[in-house]
Amino acid sequence: MRHAVLLAAALAAPALAHAQAPASVPGRLLASNCFQCHGTDGRGGFDEIAGKSPSEIVNKLKEMRAENKPGEIMNRHAAGYTDAQLKLIGDYLATRK
Amino acid sequence: MKNVMNRRRMLATLGGLSAALLAGAMPARADDGEHDRRPRSSTTGPVPLPVTGIKGKVVIVGGGMAGVTLAKYLRLWGGAGIDVTLVEREGAYTSNILSNLVLNGNVAMSSLSFGYAKVASSYGVKVLQANVDGVDAVARRVHYMRNGLPGELPYDRLVLAPGIDFDFPPGLTTAEAQLAAPHAWKAGAQTLALRDQLKAMPAGGTFLMTIPAKPYRCPPGPYERACVVADWLRRNKPGSKVLVLDANPGITAEVATFTRAFNVTYQGIVTYIPNAAVTTVDIGAHFVYTTFGSTPFHGDVLNVIPPHRAGRIVADAGLANDPVGKFAVVDVLSYESTMIPGIHVIGDAAATTMPKAGHIANQEAKVCADAMIRLMAGLAPDPSPVTNSACYSPITRETASWLTSVFAYDPVARAMAAVPASSGEAHAPSKDHYEDMFIWFDTLMKDAFA
Ligand SMILES: Cc1cc2nc3c(=O)[nH]c(=O)nc-3n(C[C@H](O)[C@H](O)[C@H](O)COP(=O)(O)OP(=O)(O)OC[C@H]3O[C@@H](n4cnc5c(N)ncnc54)[C@H](O)[C@@H]3O)c2cc1C
Ligand code: HEC
Repeated sequence: MRHAVLLAAALAAPALAHAQAPASVPGRLLASNCFQCHGTDGRGGFDEIAGKSPSEIVNKLKEMRAENKPGEIMNRHAAGYTDAQLKLIGDYLATRK
Repeated sequence: MKNVMNRRRMLATLGGLSAALLAGAMPARADDGEHDRRPRSSTTGPVPLPVTGIKGKVVIVGGGMAGVTLAKYLRLWGGAGIDVTLVEREGAYTSNILSNLVLNGNVAMSSLSFGYAKVASSYGVKVLQANVDGVDAVARRVHYMRNGLPGELPYDRLVLAPGIDFDFPPGLTTAEAQLAAPHAWKAGAQTLALRDQLKAMPAGGTFLMTIPAKPYRCPPGPYERACVVADWLRRNKPGSKVLVLDANPGITAEVATFTRAFNVTYQGIVTYIPNAAVTTVDIGAHFVYTTFGSTPFHGDVLNVIPPHRAGRIVADAGLANDPVGKFAVVDVLSYESTMIPGIHVIGDAAATTMPKAGHIANQEAKVCADAMIRLMAGLAPDPSPVTNSACYSPITRETASWLTSVFAYDPVARAMAAVPASSGEAHAPSKDHYEDMFIWFDTLMKDAFA
């Protein structure tokens, strides 16, 4: 195949022999809104938010949302989510170690 | 709540990128040259990918903020069964974000260069350096030119993420004229040309910049540039002026911040004129004619940012179906074109209710990745996606402000709508925000390119 030669050599990452993973994981897409500032999967950036207990994240975000101080970027961001959405985000981030 | 210690510690321990950026053009990296485009990312081992059983062949056109994020997340979330080819005409990406700080020398051009080695080695994305010049939606193939030779790639799903192209006004249609009055709105050679003109401008001269009508990329960006340039001029060429001619009826973003900056911080330096859309540019006379009266405006340096349209391939593929025929209308649940099924459009090239910006292009890409994976698995896209925009704007050489908003899907309007309580801007520019800007940039670029 001609294209195969043209394509920059890219080694396909070997897949781990895990059980079949689902097409979508609850909370994953919502939580990806945090990754621009807290790193892919919540590892890095301003504050590490991966691998904490779900309630720690959820309570913190509810606290920030309630503070409603207009001049804090994280308070504004927290105000973008419903309780149900925060729970999904907290549950997902807790699974990221 | 304030996590200052934590943030300062992060700052100290961040990798070479932020260190280099914070120090500005450090001697060790003294680059400045147009030729210095070393991709900064190094290769690392592959990241484990999930086994989803989902298979498909995806071609992505454009490896900018939207395209490269999509390539990474299709593999990271969809697994190795999704064959992803990223076609990008340049060998490395030059970030527009922070490029206004090349003008005042705070940031080295080389710090804004990002390579594709990492998305290839970590996620198994195939990267092809080529210019896509046609789409055959019936046969599901894209046509490209590489090193002067034509080629084609088959796809199951195609994504166009080509960013923007410009509608140049009369007087700016040749390549020479475009370098004589640089837009510097696609970072790279244009940015360096504008910086060099600024440096060479006589003290007491006028830096004239023009802002196109909405929609254009990075709503606060032009006002940010006016501030950065005014700050540099007042320290380096006293007596010089910045003349801002805005096609819009008023400042389009961070109104309070920029009104204060123009009227107070840069009082006597910045003159702001709304409702002044460029009609003609006379390069020889250094004149810009606008819809604001018949008298032309003179500038020693002309920074003309022309009106935008989606990257050319969008119109060529027949997808520029918004009312003005410039951008692609998409279903924001999946970013699939409303014109041709199987083709998605993300980033600045799409017509949406969200700002054209890199942070949100990154999030649109994640929504698109999730939707494509579900579609390939025979499922429907997430019915209630959320995105967010954030933008840090330098106001002086050491302070910045920010602007942010979360967007949620409105099923009635079938569009993304800003969540009012989440929309806001910094109270005042500060040094803290300026430092945060580099953490944000570093993290955002890693989320896209690494
Ligand atoms: C001065 C300035 C400051 C900015 N600051 C911010 C900021 O602070 N925050 C923010 O969020 N945004 C900012 N932006 C906006 C941001 O840069 C863009 O919105 C963002 O880059 C859009 O991403 P994209 O992927 O749609 O397009 P791009 O990033 O422009 O990427 C498009 C890519 O497609 C490639 N391409 C195009 N056509 C083809 C083709 N036919 N074949 C192959 N490849 C092709 C191009 O080479 C390019 O690499 C700023 C912009 C400017 C100009
Ligand atoms: C636009 C950037 C941005 C985004 C997006 C963002 N954050 Fe933050 N976050 C910050 C900043 C900045 C801080 C540090 C706040 C400070 O120090 O004042 C922070 C702090 C935090 C903290 C720590 C608060 C504390 O003081 O202990 C948590 C928890 C957090 N964010 C969670 C999240 C989650 C969850 C998301 C996604 C839903 C998210 N963030 C999205 C910028 C962001």
